[in-house]
Amino acid sequence: MKVEKRHSEPEIPTASMADIAFLLIVFFMITSVFSVTRGLEFQLPKNEQDNAPPDSQEEAIHVHVLPAGADCIFEVDKQQMLLSDIQIYIEPKLARNPNKFVIIDPDPDAPYRCMVDAFDELKQAQVKNISIPTAAEKAAWGGVI
Amino acid sequence: MNIRKPKRAESVIPTASMADIAFLLIVFFMVTTTITVDRTRVALPTSLERTEVPKDAAVIAVEEGGVVHFSDGESESRVINMGDVLPAAAFVIEKNSLKWFVIKADGNAEYQHIDRVMEQLRQANVRNIAMLTGQESVG
Repeated sequence: MKVEKRHSEPEIPTASMADIAFLLIVFFMITSVFSVTRGLEFQLPKNEQDNAPPDSQEEAIHVHVLPAGADCIFEVDKQQMLLSDIQIYIEPKLARNPNKFVIIDPDPDAPYRCMVDAFDELKQAQVKNISIPTAAEKAAWGGVI
Repeated sequence: MNIRKPKRAESVIPTASMADIAFLLIVFFMVTTTITVDRTRVALPTSLERTEVPKDAAVIAVEEGGVVHFSDGESESRVINMGDVLPAAAFVIEKNSLKWFVIKADGNAEYQHIDRVMEQLRQANVRNIAMLTGQESVG
């Protein structure tokens, strides 16, 4: 009697490949965070030598940020103005002196976002020298602001 | 006469490319995923001007109420006292004097909290800081 041997073809089971792959996708989808890594750059002054008001301090533009309920009031050189008007006010001054100093002086109770708004406006106006003195620095300057 | 019915082709959904698609998605997620050192939920202020911040920067997160979280950029952030920002920042600066510090503060936080953080960073000889912002919608 002749017994026929049946050869089963060798194969790698790949049916579960998609399952594994989708499991990995789900893992990465859950764990991944699209982190916000963009923002406004700012250089802090050196602790020792730069801790003095800018030379042309009296010439500097002062931007006061004052709280007003949930919103803010912006006072530029003691004139109250809208955020959108700050650029218009600064541009001619900047054209005369591109290195003009601008000092942002936020009120301690003002929301942080208002300071960021003012800072953003100044950055857009291409102001090179922006200073945000801290309360301790202002005290050291002797209330010149 | 026996007329044979033509053999019906079995309906098959091709699944051979499924794994390829799945692996493509995996690669996408692997590339875009960044391991964040700080997961503090804050409502970031928005700005039009935004520049990329170095990925390994130290993070100081300030919540609306003034609670401070600190991370040196490598380990997970932890809550610290407001007054402890100076020693923590000084320790980081000692190792790398050009280290970037990211201030991730809630837009509604009072400025005095950020002022205290900035003052301590200045005292710790930190030079480069970035204030994290969200994208401002135009119009």
